[in-house]
Amino acid sequence: MSEESTPLADEEEDRRLMALVADGDDDALRLLVHRHHGRLVGYLRSEVGSQATAEELAMEVFIRLHRAAGRWRPDAKLSTYLIHIARNLVLNEWRRRSRKPTSALESAPEPGDSAPESGRRVLELEEAFARAVAQLPDEQRTAILLLVQQEMPYEEIAAAMGCPVSSVKTWIHRARSRLKELMSDFYGPET
Amino acid sequence: MERRPAEHFDRDLSAALVRGRSVSVPGFADRTVSAVRADRLRRTVIRWGSGLSAAAACLVAVLVLGDPSEESLIVEARSVVAAEESAQFQELLSLADDLALLKPVIERPALVDDLAGGGS
Repeated sequence: MSEESTPLADEEEDRRLMALVADGDDDALRLLVHRHHGRLVGYLRSEVGSQATAEELAMEVFIRLHRAAGRWRPDAKLSTYLIHIARNLVLNEWRRRSRKPTSALESAPEPGDSAPESGRRVLELEEAFARAVAQLPDEQRTAILLLVQQEMPYEEIAAAMGCPVSSVKTWIHRARSRLKELMSDFYGPET
Repeated sequence: MERRPAEHFDRDLSAALVRGRSVSVPGFADRTVSAVRADRLRRTVIRWGSGLSAAAACLVAVLVLGDPSEESLIVEARSVVAAEESAQFQELLSLADDLALLKPVIERPALVDDLAGGGS
């Protein structure tokens, strides 16, 4: 989830920082949070539709990561592990609320009169996509978010969601089909 | 709204989702470290509290086991009652003895003695 440098260097740095966190180094923890929180909050915000809830959940993810730091083994990428914890928290959050998010992001930009016509169209389209994604079943939404938004490979998505790769592929196929249905007003027929 | 070509769907989907890919929150790392420290302290307090509770439970167990159990208390109570009943019985027996001592002495009339002696 790091923003810069090569993936291998990122993973090595994550391992080094996690070892320090396990020894109680709060500065290492601060650095680790700084490296990963952006994409974690972004993913959670797309899942729960609220910036405040996304930040709360992201903080809980890091608290749980800190608790497990001593037992953590770098079998998978740290970012995959973070998404795995985050997804469990999202599921708990939905169970707690006894409902699933059915609306788009609360802070999604509204098409305004001040925006140029083309800009308004783009914003309208993006908001429609956000609403459509929010209507997807849990697994399909998570899978499509991790693939398209977080650009994770199928294997990592499967690891994060705790399921076979074949299930991920099925969910993504269904998600695309459902999104095309929901967005049919915006697109012409396929040729 | 003008309909877009269907071939643009994947590109539009990607563009719409990637826009919210990363949301950097100023001060988030510092707040998280503070929350982690608070969690660490809370768990330490819970651990100590749990240890103290366990020690208190052990102490109470020792004290309880050192005292007579309920069963032994019942046995003890019964023996006390039995002893009390025995004492009361003994007391009754003693009273009976006393009563025996107090039985009226019937002396044979002298006439009977005279008759018996005159016959001899």
